[in-house]
Amino acid sequence: MARRKAAAPDKKEPVAPSPKKRQLPVDPYEVPDDSHTPKRRRQTITTSVAPDDGDGDDREPTDDDPVQSAAETSPTKKRQARPAKDSAQVTTPSALRRKAVVATPVKLNGINGTGTPSRNIADRSARRKSARALIDRVVGGAISDDEGEEGDIAREIYDHDDTETVTDPPRDLPPHEQYFFQNKPGLTKTSANNLSSLEFLTHDEYFSLLRQLPDPHAKDVDFLQSLHAEFFPQWHFELTQGFSACLYGYGSKRLLLHHFATYLSSRPPSSSKIVIINGYVRTLSLRDILSTISTAVDPTHRIPVGPPVAMAQALLSSLTAPLTLLINSIDAPPLRKPGAQAILAQLAAHPRVRLVCSADTPDFAFLWDSALRSAFNFVFHDCTTFAPLTAELDVVDDVHELLGRKARRVGGKEGVAFVLRSLPENAKSLFRLLVSEVLVVADDVDGGAEGPAVEYRMVYNKAVEEFICSSEMAFRTLLKEFHDHQIITSHKDALGTELLSLPFRKDELEGILEDLMS
Amino acid sequence: MDEEDPSIFQPEDHRAAFIFTPAATAPTAGTATTPSRSAKRRRVAVAATGSSKKKRQQQRGATPLEDEQNHTTGGAGLEFPRLLGGKEGEGAARLREELFEGAWGALEGRIQDVLRKVNGNTLNEVSAFVKRAGEEAKDKIPAGFIITGPNLASQDLLFEQLAETLGKGSGGARVVRLRAAEAPNLKAALKKIIREAATGGEDTEEAEVSVGQDGRKYLNYDLEALHVSLKMQGSRQVVVAFQDSEAFDNGLLMDLIALFHSWHDRIQFSVFFGIATSVELFQARLLKSTARCLYGAQFDVVQAGSVLETVFKTAVAGNQSVLRIGPSLLRSLVDRQQDQVAGIQVFISSLKYAYMCHFYANPLSISLADETRLSRELLQPEYFEAVRTLPSFQSDVETAVEAGQLSRAKSLLQNDEELFTYIVEERRAQKAYLSQLLRSLHLLTATGLLSSTFTDLYISALDQGIDVSSETFPVVESIRKLGAKEIIILVEKLQEAIQTGSVELDLPGWADDAKDLMTALSEIHTTIDSLSEKAKTSRKPLKSKYTTHGKVLRTTVVAQKVQLSHDTATLTDQDKAFTAAIDRLTDLASEHIESEPLADIPLHETWVYDSKSPYRDVFIPRPGTTFERALGRPHDYLSCACCGAGAEGTVAATYPTTAILYRLYQEAGALINVADLWTSYYALVGDESEVGLEERTALVHFYRGLAEMKALGFVKQSKKKADHVAKVKWL
Repeated sequence: MARRKAAAPDKKEPVAPSPKKRQLPVDPYEVPDDSHTPKRRRQTITTSVAPDDGDGDDREPTDDDPVQSAAETSPTKKRQARPAKDSAQVTTPSALRRKAVVATPVKLNGINGTGTPSRNIADRSARRKSARALIDRVVGGAISDDEGEEGDIAREIYDHDDTETVTDPPRDLPPHEQYFFQNKPGLTKTSANNLSSLEFLTHDEYFSLLRQLPDPHAKDVDFLQSLHAEFFPQWHFELTQGFSACLYGYGSKRLLLHHFATYLSSRPPSSSKIVIINGYVRTLSLRDILSTISTAVDPTHRIPVGPPVAMAQALLSSLTAPLTLLINSIDAPPLRKPGAQAILAQLAAHPRVRLVCSADTPDFAFLWDSALRSAFNFVFHDCTTFAPLTAELDVVDDVHELLGRKARRVGGKEGVAFVLRSLPENAKSLFRLLVSEVLVVADDVDGGAEGPAVEYRMVYNKAVEEFICSSEMAFRTLLKEFHDHQIITSHKDALGTELLSLPFRKDELEGILEDLMS
Repeated sequence: MDEEDPSIFQPEDHRAAFIFTPAATAPTAGTATTPSRSAKRRRVAVAATGSSKKKRQQQRGATPLEDEQNHTTGGAGLEFPRLLGGKEGEGAARLREELFEGAWGALEGRIQDVLRKVNGNTLNEVSAFVKRAGEEAKDKIPAGFIITGPNLASQDLLFEQLAETLGKGSGGARVVRLRAAEAPNLKAALKKIIREAATGGEDTEEAEVSVGQDGRKYLNYDLEALHVSLKMQGSRQVVVAFQDSEAFDNGLLMDLIALFHSWHDRIQFSVFFGIATSVELFQARLLKSTARCLYGAQFDVVQAGSVLETVFKTAVAGNQSVLRIGPSLLRSLVDRQQDQVAGIQVFISSLKYAYMCHFYANPLSISLADETRLSRELLQPEYFEAVRTLPSFQSDVETAVEAGQLSRAKSLLQNDEELFTYIVEERRAQKAYLSQLLRSLHLLTATGLLSSTFTDLYISALDQGIDVSSETFPVVESIRKLGAKEIIILVEKLQEAIQTGSVELDLPGWADDAKDLMTALSEIHTTIDSLSEKAKTSRKPLKSKYTTHGKVLRTTVVAQKVQLSHDTATLTDQDKAFTAAIDRLTDLASEHIESEPLADIPLHETWVYDSKSPYRDVFIPRPGTTFERALGRPHDYLSCACCGAGAEGTVAATYPTTAILYRLYQEAGALINVADLWTSYYALVGDESEVGLEERTALVHFYRGLAEMKALGFVKQSKKKADHVAKVKWL
């Protein structure tokens, strides 16, 4: 640790800013081949740096390296094959070569800061560990065969110089490589822009605009839909043969399933009941599903409400007529709960039950293990419809949640005013206190993930001082009211201190405060 | 229009679950499907030139032939559509349906039989153990550890059978099957055990359990209740089977075992554990005190590989299977079994699907009917036209032309009657081919000379044909290496194989058909017998020219020079006779064990199904690729005029919003600034672009796209920075 800290100031020197910025090889895991550049490199390094054997001093190559690497690698072919972006910044390759020592490493960066500090760090840490292992070995004495081998590896790592090959930000990497590439610690650089200038959509605005929206692809979507509809007879045949159908692909398949239901009801046996389950409805519970099915099976005899497993069993034993289940979005959150899929599978495995479902996400296959999968006995069909997911999603809330602005639900400033109007006077005072405290904090700091927050204890003390409440009990009751209306949030920081914050932006808070004061 | 409003505002869409009533919604649905049909037909013809649409249809559909089926105009009860562009006769379609039902129905029954028999041994052992264990260790709970292997799916059948076997008879045990998912905690587990054990699995009145004889009420997780109810029914034994023991919580298992043990004097519990890994691992999870309560025995279930082999013999290779699965599909089915540990059920489903595809979508499948049922009247002229397009038919005609049989070729091409006779003839040829194939394979496996499994042999036989001197079937080579004794054994094996045939393959013995072969074999047998007798008396081992090193290197020193000379080792007359016998045997083998590749048989397309694509699409979906394609190249699906123009890798402003966002998403790093995303999106579709959306409208699109991206699992909220989202998926 200490050693690393010692190394840190060096990094800040303007001359060698680059350990952080060095480019990474095409394959991040590429083991540098000793027969090529590294050897040359090692020779150059030994001239400039004291030999690094023995004493466990492990940081010396890193600081000199960028210089070396730039000087070393710039003449190679690889360098010149850099994309246009880089060469736009650096005039010519020859110029680059000359001034390589100072400037290039910085400019070689890709969009996301694609250098390899992580690799550097990892190398350094590996070397440090190896050094420790070597020392341990010497101190500890006895070496078994195994240890001998380990020791060799340790020495190899230790002796291995910080060899760097510099290349372009990779293109067309396989997905997993891209993942590792993009997730290099500390490298995600995004601009500081934010959406504060943008006025967010309210539900009203969203829906009124949506209603007027022409869909340029409406015809094509319909056409696609009708293509899928041609397969109804085939799906029906599959169902009769004991398979369940699963329709996947991008777009809502709600309408398609609805048409399919219409088609099925036109086919014999007409006694077959069709139950449609909308998995995306957030309030959906297994009990709902099972009791609806039981009404479909026999409207007069309803199965007793109990634990879903028992209900399912009762249902299956009372099943006499064929039953068709159509499940929209089987992979929606309500149906991802443990047990739900098992029960659906149990239903699907019954010979009288036919099941058709649609799946909206690309990851739906993870819902089922092999036992469930064979109980469902699925056949899968690609039903990409491109139909917008309208009923499936609560677009406005989802987006706001994604952006961490949950409180939109109460309608911002107006909503707060509305809530407060129905609360007693001291609640209003407390909220005013909270807002002003939060605003004070917001002026001081830029706010963390949860926005500016104030300490619970501090607010309580102030509330007592201002005679808003007399006991913690009363204080809690007031806060609970705010919680229920989602106009405050609370969380604990790393030390366990309880913090209160308001899910509004600063300008909104100011507006609220103005209203409260007037 | 009509479509849009209901899609946003249909009240049904927001109901969690409801019973579908067609009457209420029929008009909308009707208008949506029917009129668009004719229009779309026309468009298919247009789009076919663009090929993307056509391609898609083929990918998705069961077979390309499926394109032709649309109009299920058949009468009531007819499931199968009329093919050949709707021109197929109703009778023919019905016949196909009946054929399918007959063929698969028979086969399915046999497969189930086989599966049940496979577990038979294990089950007998298990039930014997249950009987015995009660007496052997009085104060312990008998525990059977059933090593089922990693496949969860196949366990179900086993435990079902176990429950059947153990529950048989009047004094039969009550069997409760527990799965970890159904028993999350002790209370739930006990409730389930008590309920099922008391009612014997049949769901009668639950109340019986909770009220005892004397009117006392019990809690439904009190084992006393079970005790009382069992006493009333005069049974004491309860078997609890933990199907997926690995998935159970350690603590729960130990609690249950301890509890069972303490009740052991009143209720006779036995437990079974389905174990996917090993008993050692299982034991390591239990406390020693708990493990001491158990009196265990281990049972191994037949390995998946051999189950597959048996099912394969019955269902795929056997004489009973009407439809033949082609080598390439078979190979991928079998590979999937091994690579993905897919379980035998999956194999059977895939097989069934192949049958379904063939009979449902191939009008030529009708020729698999019996000759009595396949009458000339059923067949439309289009049927014969379709037959004439078959590659195997065409090559057969070409051979006829090359052989100078011009009139035959002509009549086959022009005369439907002639073609019909030809089809019937070829059906006989098919039967002959199959029985020859099976006999050859049976003999091959009987020799025991080849190391590959029957499955592999069968697949390569279909693929390349059987040639005993080839590298795939190195029978001749191996026979030559055998000694006299082994040859005698081999000959006996062959004789037996011919006489008995094979039950699994449903192949009767064919000694009558192969009299020549049988006499030849017995001649060889006697010859070698007498030869080895003689060899015994003369004390010279019998050898053939193949077993001895044919040449011996001799060194002679002549005039102080070493001379090397090759010399054929002298073979005695007996050896020569032995060699001759071996040659005879190999000749017989190559004469009788042979078969052509499947693809060389004329009209094999009518009785062989060998298309991999529907199988793959239907059973091994690749949703990632599908989504990637839909979002990356929406034009592939929409085939709209607006989006196709752009070159590969560019994004057009007319793309669906999510597709645009997806493209931007791909270019972004692990953390995405939504403000920047919005700016770039708006730059693309905003006022100055060709689409020219107004800002608020664009924002609505943007919202929708972003919400969809979230729902599809591409992004999630990030707390690192304000207005940022984190990338979650790298496709």
